[in-house]
Amino acid sequence: MSKTKKSYLPLKTTSHLRRTMNKHYLLARYHRWWGRPLKRPLAWVTSGAPVELLRVFNIFTVYPENYGAVCGTARVAQELCQEAENRGYSQDLCSYARSNLGVVYAPKGAPAGGLPAPDLLVACNNICGTVLKWYEELARHYRVPLFVIDTPFVTEAGEPPEHAVRYVLEQFREMTAGLEKLTGRQFQPGALEKTLALSQEAVGLWREIRNLCRTRPSPLNIPDMFLHLAPIVVMRGTEEAVGYYRRLLSEVQERVRRGQAAVAGEKHRLLWDNIAIWYRLFGFFKMFSERGACFVVDTYAGGWTVEILPGDPLESLARTYTGIFLNQGIDYRAQDIVKLIKEFGVDGFVMHSNRSCKPYSLVQEEIRRRVMAAAGVPGLLIEADMADPRAYAEEQVRTRVQAFLEALPA
Amino acid sequence: MDHWRDLIAGTGMEKLAAAAELPYRAWSEQFPGGRPFAYFCSYWPEELTMAFGWEPVRIFPPAKAGTPARLPTYCCSVARGCLEQGERGDLPFRETGFVHTCDTMQCLSQIWRYAVTDVTVSFVPPVTLNAPGALRYCAAELERIGRQLERLSGRAFHPDDLRRAIALNNRVRGLVQRLEELRPHLPAALVARLERTAQVVPRSLYAKALEEILPVLPKRAGEEAENRRGKNRLRRVLISGAVLENEEIPGLLAELGVGVAADDTCTGYRHFAGLVEETGDLFEALAARILQRPPCPCRHQGLAARRDYLLELARSRGAEAVILILRKYCDPHAWDAVSLAQGLRAAGLPVYVLELEGASPGGQEKTRLQAFLECL
Repeated sequence: MSKTKKSYLPLKTTSHLRRTMNKHYLLARYHRWWGRPLKRPLAWVTSGAPVELLRVFNIFTVYPENYGAVCGTARVAQELCQEAENRGYSQDLCSYARSNLGVVYAPKGAPAGGLPAPDLLVACNNICGTVLKWYEELARHYRVPLFVIDTPFVTEAGEPPEHAVRYVLEQFREMTAGLEKLTGRQFQPGALEKTLALSQEAVGLWREIRNLCRTRPSPLNIPDMFLHLAPIVVMRGTEEAVGYYRRLLSEVQERVRRGQAAVAGEKHRLLWDNIAIWYRLFGFFKMFSERGACFVVDTYAGGWTVEILPGDPLESLARTYTGIFLNQGIDYRAQDIVKLIKEFGVDGFVMHSNRSCKPYSLVQEEIRRRVMAAAGVPGLLIEADMADPRAYAEEQVRTRVQAFLEALPA
Repeated sequence: MDHWRDLIAGTGMEKLAAAAELPYRAWSEQFPGGRPFAYFCSYWPEELTMAFGWEPVRIFPPAKAGTPARLPTYCCSVARGCLEQGERGDLPFRETGFVHTCDTMQCLSQIWRYAVTDVTVSFVPPVTLNAPGALRYCAAELERIGRQLERLSGRAFHPDDLRRAIALNNRVRGLVQRLEELRPHLPAALVARLERTAQVVPRSLYAKALEEILPVLPKRAGEEAENRRGKNRLRRVLISGAVLENEEIPGLLAELGVGVAADDTCTGYRHFAGLVEETGDLFEALAARILQRPPCPCRHQGLAARRDYLLELARSRGAEAVILILRKYCDPHAWDAVSLAQGLRAAGLPVYVLELEGASPGGQEKTRLQAFLECL
């Protein structure tokens, strides 16, 4: 059997990523040994929650959504989802949530031995309504305090209205008081400013890395971005995240200097919309890379490139976390994709209609139509699920991908 | 099965109740001179629309499941059915009001602008109803959409118009409360139809017609109510769920010899519960009612609010069991169903989770429901 030529160039920093994330999950796993003596409660947090506020109180954070992606990549999500389904949760619910509940009920066999029980839960509904219901279930199960941040949906593209910002700000203030009580620590505005600066720095580095993919050929393909997204999600606001992204930036800059392509013989430059198909992360994108198609940009990893607005730290947090892209309508998202297509020199785009993520997916067909009309590039919609492989029909997807790539201009 | 129609035959309500099942295209013909304003969710502030001269008309999905190209198949039949109706041109309403209830409605409101009409107004009430500042935020949000409605209507806002609209809606709510008191003596399908009718026809006509029939309904239903006394008394259940666009579920329950003690669907009594203060800051009054409404799975009011509410409702109305109606792909209700069923069962109430594609149960659902009811 002849050895096939590799069409895809992996990053050296990936081994550092493994070490970084292993350390994070090890710390989480053994939190019960060090958390209490150091008075550092453990919080389960949704990916869109203002983690900077928790860092100020020295709270250790764990992200069940990130862990859901880990379960998806490790291909154990289906069994975990079924554990939740056996307890009555519908198969139509979000697979991150179902696999997380599966871990809660039956952690045996889960990556890193499952997640440690939380001391508190923090849910922010700026990404979806599901997180609220999911965390309500967790709060019932663990009987720990649940902090909910309600960030009103932004109906008109752009800045959230002032009354919505004031409302979120009031909730932040109440949460701050609640965290003071829970941790016995006083809120220090200076500490928040410092954490925000670290967060801002990591986000800036991540943005710079992403922007380097405007180069031809692109130094990264989107699976790289999906993998290296983990630290910005789980460690945002820490020195460690800043150090990590400095290292990654340096490697990507080196690739650009050398003219190294993530995908050998880059022929087509594509945009990806939605969360990854974790259980087929490399297999799926290989269908593209072996035909010289590189995903140079996406909308999901871009969710963590948003700069925290200047001004009063709490108010800036309120404004920034309310205005994130998943809390905005079609106009905002379509304009964003059109802008990315122009800036990154994109020839076509692929949208993952993700059964687990309704706010991301239900509007995609309308966005696809609008983007195609505005940017003049073709868009493909494929249906799957981010973590549950039962919703993925490989052959059907392959046929659609082939037809799409054949239709792209040479 | 439809003998409940006889109870309103020859009354002013007969025509109104019939209008609730006519295609929306017939609305203007049925109510000439009325300016319809389409809306979707029971959190929509009907009074505010009426203050600008519109008649709020709630949009329900058609009987046949829709398959609009703009929505994937893993989306609930309410959104798919309504969008298909709109795309087909079967909703002749220029203005449409949306409420941010669930992720699906949030998405539908966005698609609607391009697929059906670009004259949409989106109301985003607080999700955490007991959050600090929720009342202030909600009142400010109502004022925002009030300004939008003012621009759309071309009619200046006047507090007296809003006060009159609130008074009329309160009158309807009061009448529906009286209808609920008569519920034990009336066919459940009739009550469901009367409550749904209130959401699609001009409110002043409705109030007048309901006022007329309320005193005579018990008499008209007398024989049936008499038959239900003593050992023939109907077993009664509480139903809870989202939108019911027809009366087939209460009809089927009646067929199985079971009455509806309380209807906690969002087209049923939940739509009418609570009055709005008619004095003071009217926007704050509207907001206060929104915050105090019976628990809906799309809102957060703590972890036990809905269970406690349903337990109390079941006890006060003498329900022997609860049927949680779950529409396929409705995430908020699917989430609630697990812990809610556990909590209600733990309190001694048998619970059946009835999952349906729409609001029309088929043979299989009937058999399952029958088996459950026989076990009571």
